[in-house]
Amino acid sequence: MSYYIRLALRYLWGRKLRTILTTLAIAFGTMLIFGMNGLVPAVEAAYRQQLMQAASQVDLTITGETRSSFPETALEVVRGTPGVAHASGSLVRPVVVPPADAPLLPDGSRLGTIVLSGIDPETAPQVRRFEVVSGRLLQPGDRNVLVVSESLARKASLEPGDRLRLPSATGVATFEIVGVIAGEPGAVSDEVYTPLPVAQALLNQPGRINTIEALVVPGSDARAVREAALARLGSGFKLGENQVGSELQAAVEMGEVAFNLFGVLTLAMGGFIIFNTFRTVVVERRRDIGMLRAVGASRRAVIGLILTESLLQGVVGTAAGLCGGYFLALGMGAIVGPIWSQALRLSLGGPVFKPATYVLAIGLGIGVTLVAGLWPAVSAGRVTPLEALRPAEGEASWKPARRRAAFGLALVVVAVLGLASGNLNLASLGAVLFLAGLVLVGPVLVRPIAGVFGRLLELVLAQEGRIAEGNLARQPGRAAITASAMTIGLAILVALGGMTTSLESGLFRYIDQSLGADYLLMPHSMVLGGGNVGAGPELAEAVRSVPGIAEVTTVRLAMGRIGDTDVQTIGIDPESYPRVAGLEFSAGEPEEAFAALAEGRALIANGIFSAQSRLQVGEELTLQTPEGPKTYRVAGIGMDFLNAKLATVYVSQENLARDLHETSDILLMADRAADADPAEVRAQLERIVAQYPAFSLLSGDEMREEYKQMYGMAMRLLHLLMVTLAIPSLIALMNTLGINVLERTREIGVLRAVGSTRRQVQRMIVGESLLLSALGTAFGLLGGLWLGYVLVGALNATGFKMSYFFPYSGIVLAVAVGLVFGVIAALLPARRAARLDLLAALRYE
Amino acid sequence: MAIVETKELTKVYGRGDAAVTALRKVDLRVEPGEFVAVMGPSGCGKSTLLHLVGGLDRPTSGRVALNGQDLSELSDDALTRLRRREIGFVFQFYNLIPVLKAAENVALPLVLDGVSPRKAQSQAQLWLERVGLSDRTDHRPDELSGGQQQRVAIARALASEPALILADEPTGNLDSRAGDEIATLLRRVVDEWKRTVLMVTHDPRIAAYADRIIFLKDGTVVDEARLVGGNDGAEKLVRQRMEDL
Ligand SMILES: Nc1ncnc2c1ncn2[C@@H]1O[C@H](COP(=O)(O)OP(=O)(O)OP(=O)(O)O)[C@@H](O)[C@H]1O
Ligand SMILES: [Mg+2]
Repeated sequence: MSYYIRLALRYLWGRKLRTILTTLAIAFGTMLIFGMNGLVPAVEAAYRQQLMQAASQVDLTITGETRSSFPETALEVVRGTPGVAHASGSLVRPVVVPPADAPLLPDGSRLGTIVLSGIDPETAPQVRRFEVVSGRLLQPGDRNVLVVSESLARKASLEPGDRLRLPSATGVATFEIVGVIAGEPGAVSDEVYTPLPVAQALLNQPGRINTIEALVVPGSDARAVREAALARLGSGFKLGENQVGSELQAAVEMGEVAFNLFGVLTLAMGGFIIFNTFRTVVVERRRDIGMLRAVGASRRAVIGLILTESLLQGVVGTAAGLCGGYFLALGMGAIVGPIWSQALRLSLGGPVFKPATYVLAIGLGIGVTLVAGLWPAVSAGRVTPLEALRPAEGEASWKPARRRAAFGLALVVVAVLGLASGNLNLASLGAVLFLAGLVLVGPVLVRPIAGVFGRLLELVLAQEGRIAEGNLARQPGRAAITASAMTIGLAILVALGGMTTSLESGLFRYIDQSLGADYLLMPHSMVLGGGNVGAGPELAEAVRSVPGIAEVTTVRLAMGRIGDTDVQTIGIDPESYPRVAGLEFSAGEPEEAFAALAEGRALIANGIFSAQSRLQVGEELTLQTPEGPKTYRVAGIGMDFLNAKLATVYVSQENLARDLHETSDILLMADRAADADPAEVRAQLERIVAQYPAFSLLSGDEMREEYKQMYGMAMRLLHLLMVTLAIPSLIALMNTLGINVLERTREIGVLRAVGSTRRQVQRMIVGESLLLSALGTAFGLLGGLWLGYVLVGALNATGFKMSYFFPYSGIVLAVAVGLVFGVIAALLPARRAARLDLLAALRYE
Repeated sequence: MAIVETKELTKVYGRGDAAVTALRKVDLRVEPGEFVAVMGPSGCGKSTLLHLVGGLDRPTSGRVALNGQDLSELSDDALTRLRRREIGFVFQFYNLIPVLKAAENVALPLVLDGVSPRKAQSQAQLWLERVGLSDRTDHRPDELSGGQQQRVAIARALASEPALILADEPTGNLDSRAGDEIATLLRRVVDEWKRTVLMVTHDPRIAAYADRIIFLKDGTVVDEARLVGGNDGAEKLVRQRMEDL
């Protein structure tokens, strides 16, 4: 085996540039997959570390089934359960510290989201151990005081005596820190504790708690006690802590899918380039392979040799990709981190590479290389020893195989099914299959298309154009390989271009539609459930009373559960909401839907949720509430911008208060009267908002602009990645073109001998390259447009409603790139062809 | 027992209208220790005959036996093993692996046969010495002259100690001096190292080194001559016969 490795290395070394470039392609794909997957858990880790409530060592933890709060009376029920020794209730919620008031962190950012626990100073220490590090514990009768966890104290340099301002339903409240306690072992979350009544007032949840913790009488069966307590409480309760921040999880998973789609396409591209290279290698080395066979190498040995070569490249490429991916994640983290913490008030840690990420990246990197090398290797095994003896006339093995084309067509059909399935994973698989199918079908179409483009080329290059066209028509198979490198590259570019354009315009439409008010009082986290503290009715009243404000509407939020999906339940005023803001409907009539909300238990579901649960307008759903199950009718399907990524239903604020006991406003929107003075109104609003640091005042225009800029930046990043994706296809094009020249050394020699000038030979090669890239571009455009269209459709099916936008600029770019690449890729081989030593060329063979 | 024996060996390329009969019922015997040359006009089927005898291709009908073993009964893998151990090939275009050094090229059949690299290497060294290239072992093929490359190819053909060497126009690409060197070397292969050589050539001067010459025309054996005595007389005789054809 070592001999094969040596032979493989020699061959690879003999073509250093090509080896490096192909290896780079694999490195590139692995880098994206590894880097992106390393970044996503960093985001998740940010939640987990900062928001996860420390798992406590109590015997029994009970929370509301829907993650919403419930009346304190439930505590008495638990206390009355036989076997319960001590029980204590608390109200636990993430809270965004208003940036203006937040302590500075060592890294220069400000403290974002913390976990606020309202506890009963008397009973809490009975069920949990609080170990004082400095200062004291909470005492009965305490008002606005806080005890903070040691990790937070250290991070934000807080100590007893310091003050911390937290937002409240009535504006803001100032707290004095009286103590620091050691967290549970291993706990790193940023927790603060305050007396329960204070927390209830702060969060506008008087008389309500969301967690009960208890210890059982020593010696009793903890499990039986748990069951008994749950049974006595009735429906609407569950065992175990609330997963704080799980709303955000869904958004992150969505991002992960998108990243992986991108990574898979990139790797498919890398695999294709390896495939392409090795097909070329096998053609190029047919005589060597035949020779090996003649002197006694078995088929298996030949296959092994080619696979060894691809494996070597796979291993090196994957290793390089892992390193690159690590730095990519670091770099992306550095770019995205600030935007992220700005939008969500959570700080992003370094990349996290889980074992599964390694397995995925290494498995895909090496796996793709091996799979891509397999076909060429097997075809190398089919080379007979006689090939070593025949003069190289490679055409026989490159005839367009109808069977292969039929297989390609079948692949395309399967791909279409995958793309139409509405499942993003199947869709991305479908995208890969589609490209593979395109490559297989290609050769059959080369001849007619080459004819058309050839005639165009003749206008420019006259004689050489005709020769170039003839060369292509003679070897449609190889021409198709070369062109397919281009096709794949451009198809991916155009598809992603179409997708991002559609995504961008779709998002912009959502922004305009649902955030269309003149003024917005925005909470600090863009994910509404991500720790924002709502305001009581006073804030909306104050805004309404500002002279010049024509209309005010507010948005409230509670967590509900339908089936086994946690859904954000958003309370809106069916009267004013459609006038000031609005939803983008994809089913149902807006007017009827809002009217239905006002009349009774009806809801509007957003796209994600309705796609997940396959909802129909008119269907009845059961919403689990602390008051028990309630039946709601689906009045329509529509969505707003902020909640587009999370399963959400919209109900009337009246029903939200009745069923889920939530009355705080988390987002306020207001319209100005036509004759009002903007400056005057704004000044008045500023004054009001100053009292409510949980909110910041934005003019609608400003805010839409801000979002658009943010998305614009993300899109530019995506475009940059896409351009880097194009580089490997240039490599592939150059590769096959180089081989073209090599194989025709003698033909070129003859041309020169009968009187072609160097320039003419050069022009012939460039003409051929242009033809090939025109072919590739045409296929790539068609394939990419279609693929993009279907991918947008697949996104639509997941509930992200948007219409397909034709990427005009992308097409212009693609055509330009295609032609420029065609010329660039031809320059090197053309030079080589022109420099060819005439005699050597004729002696060749 | 004859080392090579063919019975009614026939090879037809293509089918239908395009069918070309390259060999027509050829019966041929080569005894161990013989140096046999095959001559004939271009396209008469010389290479085809050599390929069939070497198991590189399969006949349309008839059979080839090496040391009594019928090749048509062998699987592809068994044929491969046979080529590795029993036959050495020398071709017109040297056909060395360009990325391997001379010694590595010579060691190739041994390595393919599972001989330890060290042993294969020393064996290769030995054969390179015997063909007079002990000072060129670390050179790549493109750093060697045509005659030198052909000597490396002969060393490679001999390295696995095969009983039979098949050579297709081994001097076809060389000038007359280098051609003579190669022919002399092949003569030594028979006389000194006791191998059997079956060689195809155009060149009467080269054919004159053989013990026996078989004349082929349009795919059939038309004549045969046993050579005795000096080279000069033999060459004249061969020229004469060729012109008769
Ligand atoms: N692969 C093939 N397909 C079709 N016909 C072939 C093939 N190989 C050889 N032939 C034909 O078979 C006949 C014998 O070919 P062969 O190569 O054996 O001749 P040769 O005597 O070696 O000629 P030369 O002296 O020119 O090398 C020729 O007519 C040739 O055209
Ligand atoms: Mg021949």
